[in-house]
Amino acid sequence: MTSDIYLSTTNLCRYYHRGSQTVKALDGVSVAVGRGEFLSIVGSSGSGKTTLLNLLAGLDSPTSGIVDLAGVPLSAMSRRQLAAYRAHKIGMIFQSFNLISHYSALQNVEMALCFNGTSPKERKRLAAEILERLGLADRTTHKPSDLSGGEQQRVAVARAIVKRPEILFADEPTGNLDFENAQQIASLLTALNRDGLTVVLVTHNLEMAQQLTQRTLRMQYGRFVESQKTTGGRRP
Amino acid sequence: MTLRDLIVISFGNLWRMKLRTFLTTSGVLIAIAAFVSMISFGAGNQRRLEEEFNKLGLFTTMQVYPKSSRNTADTASYRKLDKAALVELAAIPGVNLVYPYDAINVIARLGDSTAPTKAQALPTAAVRTKLFSNLLAGSPFDSNSSRQAIVSNDLIKKFGIHTPDSAVGRSLILAVRVSVIDSGFAHILADQGETIWDRLKRIRVDSLLKTNYRSHVLRTEGNATLRRFLNGFLNAPAIITDTLTIRGVREDRRGGMIRTDAIIIPPETAQRFTSAGFSGNPADIFASMSAGTLFAQSDDPGGKSYSQVTIDFDPKVLAKTIRDSVEAAGFRAFSFAEQFEQIQKIFLYFDMALGVIGLIALFTASLGIVNTMVMSITERRREIGVLKSLGADESDIRWLFLVESGVIGFLGTVGGIFIGWSITRIVSAIAQSYMKGQGLPAIDLFALPLWLILIALSMGVGVAIIAGFYPAARAARVDPVEALRND
Repeated sequence: MTSDIYLSTTNLCRYYHRGSQTVKALDGVSVAVGRGEFLSIVGSSGSGKTTLLNLLAGLDSPTSGIVDLAGVPLSAMSRRQLAAYRAHKIGMIFQSFNLISHYSALQNVEMALCFNGTSPKERKRLAAEILERLGLADRTTHKPSDLSGGEQQRVAVARAIVKRPEILFADEPTGNLDFENAQQIASLLTALNRDGLTVVLVTHNLEMAQQLTQRTLRMQYGRFVESQKTTGGRRP
Repeated sequence: MTLRDLIVISFGNLWRMKLRTFLTTSGVLIAIAAFVSMISFGAGNQRRLEEEFNKLGLFTTMQVYPKSSRNTADTASYRKLDKAALVELAAIPGVNLVYPYDAINVIARLGDSTAPTKAQALPTAAVRTKLFSNLLAGSPFDSNSSRQAIVSNDLIKKFGIHTPDSAVGRSLILAVRVSVIDSGFAHILADQGETIWDRLKRIRVDSLLKTNYRSHVLRTEGNATLRRFLNGFLNAPAIITDTLTIRGVREDRRGGMIRTDAIIIPPETAQRFTSAGFSGNPADIFASMSAGTLFAQSDDPGGKSYSQVTIDFDPKVLAKTIRDSVEAAGFRAFSFAEQFEQIQKIFLYFDMALGVIGLIALFTASLGIVNTMVMSITERRREIGVLKSLGADESDIRWLFLVESGVIGFLGTVGGIFIGWSITRIVSAIAQSYMKGQGLPAIDLFALPLWLILIALSMGVGVAIIAGFYPAARAARVDPVEALRND
């Protein structure tokens, strides 16, 4: 491991038991994500991409193997420390946006700052600022149901980056969007990476992955089957 | 996540589900309303009793009695409540005042009306204690020798006076029948159908040498002499009258351990009646005889013994300390403060019984809270997953649901206190109207003291939070991966 490796996994396995059957969602995955890198993981549905992302985000625990965050294995962290890790260091974007339906855009973004000790006044200021930056200044009071898919995903991006995370996990962020909105989100991710944010993008869209990221890993049946350096994004 | 965040989020979530929140909160509201209205009845009576005790100064008053000879095997330890006893009781540290119950039968005359009643002798200092100083009109008498009286409201009503103020300053004539020894002796010598010479002539002087005859003469003549004496002593009383000025009118109190009579007069004024002779009441004479103070009564007031003595003591001194000293001196004591403690215990048991009923109702309401919160978890599963992905730990989620339960409890309790209080106001208004109709003083049967509000709040919020434990634990255990999975 070099000193600019931010997050890495070693022989990571995640098995599920369905009755007497064992489903190997991840089966011995090792990967290193450099600081400032834009990494994409591609693969068909059920290949284990989202499972890997959940393990990297500390939302799930591996059956075996190690997830190492700047020299500290996540398995050594308590639940509270893992929550603090999510609260301070990572941002997540989901395919289905996962905005809280009864909160306004502003409240959804503010919510990301509730768990890292930001004062209520500062939360409101930062949330308004980031929404304005993403072109949603006139949508702050709107509920998710009043926003278009692209706007909802931009609110989700705002929520993910408002706390200035060290790494952003994007799970099929354009999966539910039309071409134009997908392009907007893709540009946004590239811009964020250019600003120095480490991004791990999970997608089944190989073309987009190659255009956006510097490295693409292809997954199949819970294993990496191919690693490809690509030309997109910013070099770390 | 701060408590403010938790409260704001909880209110927001509950506001979204208005009907469900209203129905769940109503369960708590009804339980608390029932609890508050029931307990406030006990609290109202307790408050009234305490006010009455305070008004009369009963917390610093103690009654002392001689130990009944029936109740003590050691007859040597039986002590009379005489002057020496009063001095000894007054010397107990913390005792401010000691005065006996001392009353005489009188015939009172006010204007053209007369009424047989009792006059109680009380020193000025005693009349100025809370026990007697709550006057409807006028003021306590000036000194222990002043020719003044304090009369009860009931007595002046018997005389046709219905406003206490108009009785003050009027003349009250007291007449006391006293039996004097002189009239007894006069009766021995008096001619009642036969003279002494006639009676002497009946005696056969020559037979006096015979023992039997001598005994017979002594017995019959002795009996006749005693009968003549008692006849004169009891049936030919002297009437002593005195005219006093009504100085004050006080409220009537009936029953209880405090003996107060219709007329209160200064002790030296009472002395003028008792020093003139024995009480005209044969029962008093026999009581004095059995106490061995028959002759002391007329000649030496210090030799009298009393059936009851009242002690007024310093509020800083514990009633138990005074009682222990009184009992150590060989007397029986009755402490109002200790009686109040006993009554308070009864109220406590009463309140506890009502509290249990309230708790059962609250327990039923808490099932509604559990149901609502569990439903809420099912509906907000994805939200919980999102919050966890944003950095919420299990305790944040647990607190979120506990605070939400607590808010339901709080809203229900505040509403319940208000509704419960409103019910008591309505019942009280009806009861007071009935009391007025019956000519009784309209009293408020209910009270809503701060402690009851605090207990209701802690019970309502506490039970709601307890009800939230299971849903909160379940919410905290929600797997974020499962919750965020795309359907």
